[in-house]
Amino acid sequence: MRRWVSLALPLATLVIWQVAMRFEHPDFVMGPLEIARHFGEALWSGELLPHIGASLMRSLPGFIVGSLVGVVLGLLTGIARSLDQLLSPVVFLTYPVPKIVFLPIVMLWVGIGDVSKIVVIALACFYPCFINAYYGARGTSTIMVWSGLNMGARRSQIVRKVVIPSALPLVFAGLRVSLALSFILLFSTEMINARSGLGFLIRQSESSLRFDLMYVAIVAVAALGCAGDQLLVLMRRRVLAWQEATAR
Amino acid sequence: MSARWPDPASALRRVALIAVGVLAWETAARSGLFSPLIVPSITRIGYQLWLLATQPESLVEAWYSVARGLGGFALAAVVGVGLGVLMGRSALAAACFGPIFSGTYPIPKIALFPIFIYLFGIGSLSKVLLIFLECLYPIVITTQAGGRAVNRVLLWSAANMGASRARIVWKVVVPATAPFIFAGFRIALPIAMIVVIITEMISSADGLGYLVMYSLASFKTDRMLAVVIVIALVGVALDRLVVRLRNRLVFWERLESYYAE
Repeated sequence: MRRWVSLALPLATLVIWQVAMRFEHPDFVMGPLEIARHFGEALWSGELLPHIGASLMRSLPGFIVGSLVGVVLGLLTGIARSLDQLLSPVVFLTYPVPKIVFLPIVMLWVGIGDVSKIVVIALACFYPCFINAYYGARGTSTIMVWSGLNMGARRSQIVRKVVIPSALPLVFAGLRVSLALSFILLFSTEMINARSGLGFLIRQSESSLRFDLMYVAIVAVAALGCAGDQLLVLMRRRVLAWQEATAR
Repeated sequence: MSARWPDPASALRRVALIAVGVLAWETAARSGLFSPLIVPSITRIGYQLWLLATQPESLVEAWYSVARGLGGFALAAVVGVGLGVLMGRSALAAACFGPIFSGTYPIPKIALFPIFIYLFGIGSLSKVLLIFLECLYPIVITTQAGGRAVNRVLLWSAANMGASRARIVWKVVVPATAPFIFAGFRIALPIAMIVVIITEMISSADGLGYLVMYSLASFKTDRMLAVVIVIALVGVALDRLVVRLRNRLVFWERLESYYAE
C-alpha cells in the first residue's frame, strides 16, 4: 500500500506533464517521452559522451582531493588540540563564504583551463568534509577512549580503532554533501567558462536554441548526480555495515 | 564556538592569523615577483573597498544580491518547514513526498537555470526560484528528521490534557523540532549565497556576482578582490544572524553538530 502511494505522485506528475504536451506550448517545453527519445539519440550518436567525460575529468579530481584533505585534516583537528586552535578558527570563519567567488581569482593565478575549476571544486568540497570529520572525531565517546586506554591500547590504536570508526557516520554525511556541492560547482564553473562539459553543453544549446540538446544535457547531469550519490550510499553500506544493522 | 564571549587568547589568535595572512599577501605584492594584476597590494584593495562602501551604486548591487538570496531563502524556509513538519508527523505525507525529495536530492538544481530563465525571465524571479529550490531540500530533510524525533511522551501528555491536534502541532511539535529547523537553515543559507552569486555571474546585469565578473573582465583585479571580500563578509554576517536568532529563539537545546552549535 505504502509503495503505491510513494509511486503515485511521481507517476502522476509524469503523466500530467505528458498529457499537457498535447496542448499548445512554447518550443522550450518538452514532454518526458520526447526528452527520453532525444536522450537515446544523443547517447547513440556519441554527441554526449565526450562532454560527460570532460565533466567527470574536472569533478572527480576536485572532489577526491578536496574531500580527502578535508577528512584527514578534520580528523586530525578533532583529535589534536594544538591543531584545533590553529586551524578551526580559520576554517569556521571562512566556511559561510560562497567558494565560487574564488573562481575568478584562481583563474588569474593558474589560468582559465581545467585546473582552476578543479581547484575551486576541491576548495568547496573541503569544507563539509572537514567540518563533519571534525565533529565526528570530537564526538567520540570519552568512555570508549578511556576503556581503550585502560586496556593498554596505544595512541595510534585508539585513533584507528576507536576515533575513526566512531567518526565514520558523520564523515560519510560530509562526503555526501561534498559530492552534491562538487556537481553544483562543476556545472556553474562550466557555465561561466568552458569549451566542453555538460555545463557548457547546457549553455551552448540554450543559446543556439537547441532545446532538445539542452534537456539531454540536463538529464545527463541529473543521472550523474544520482549515480554518484547511489555509489556513495552503497559504499557507506559496505563500510558501515555495523551501524546500518543497529539503526534498523 | 558557541560561547558568547570568546576568550581573549583565541580572539588574539584569530587576529594574529589574519595579520599573518595580510602581511604575507602584502610582501608578495611588494616583492615585485608578481604583476600587480595578479596580486594587487592590500592598500589598493582597501581603497577599492572604501569606494565600494561609499558609492551608493555599489551598495545597491549588494542590496540586490542580499534581497534575492534572502527572498529565495525565506520562501524555502516557509514552505520547507511546513512540508518538513507534515512529512515528519504524517506517514501518508512522508510516503507521498518522501520519494520525490530523496530521488531528486542529488540532482544539481543549478542545471535547471537555463529552463528557469526561459520560464520566468532573465530578471530576479528565475534566480529567486532557483534559490528556493536549492534551499528547500536541506530544510525539508532536517525538519522531517526533527519532526520524527519528537518525544512521544510529550505528545501523549499534551493529548491527554485535551489539546487539539492543531494545538499539539503548534505547541509541542514545532518547538521540539526547532533545533533541527535552525540546523537546516544554517545549511541552506550558505547555499542560497552560492546560488545568488553563481546565477549573477552567469547571467545578470546587477548584483555582487555580476560585479565580480565585470571587474575581472575589465582587468580591475583590486576591485574584484574587494568585491570578493564584501561577498565573504555578507556570507559570514548572514550566518551569524541565523546563529543569533537561533540562540534567541531556541535557547533550551543544542544538537551535536556544527550546524546546531
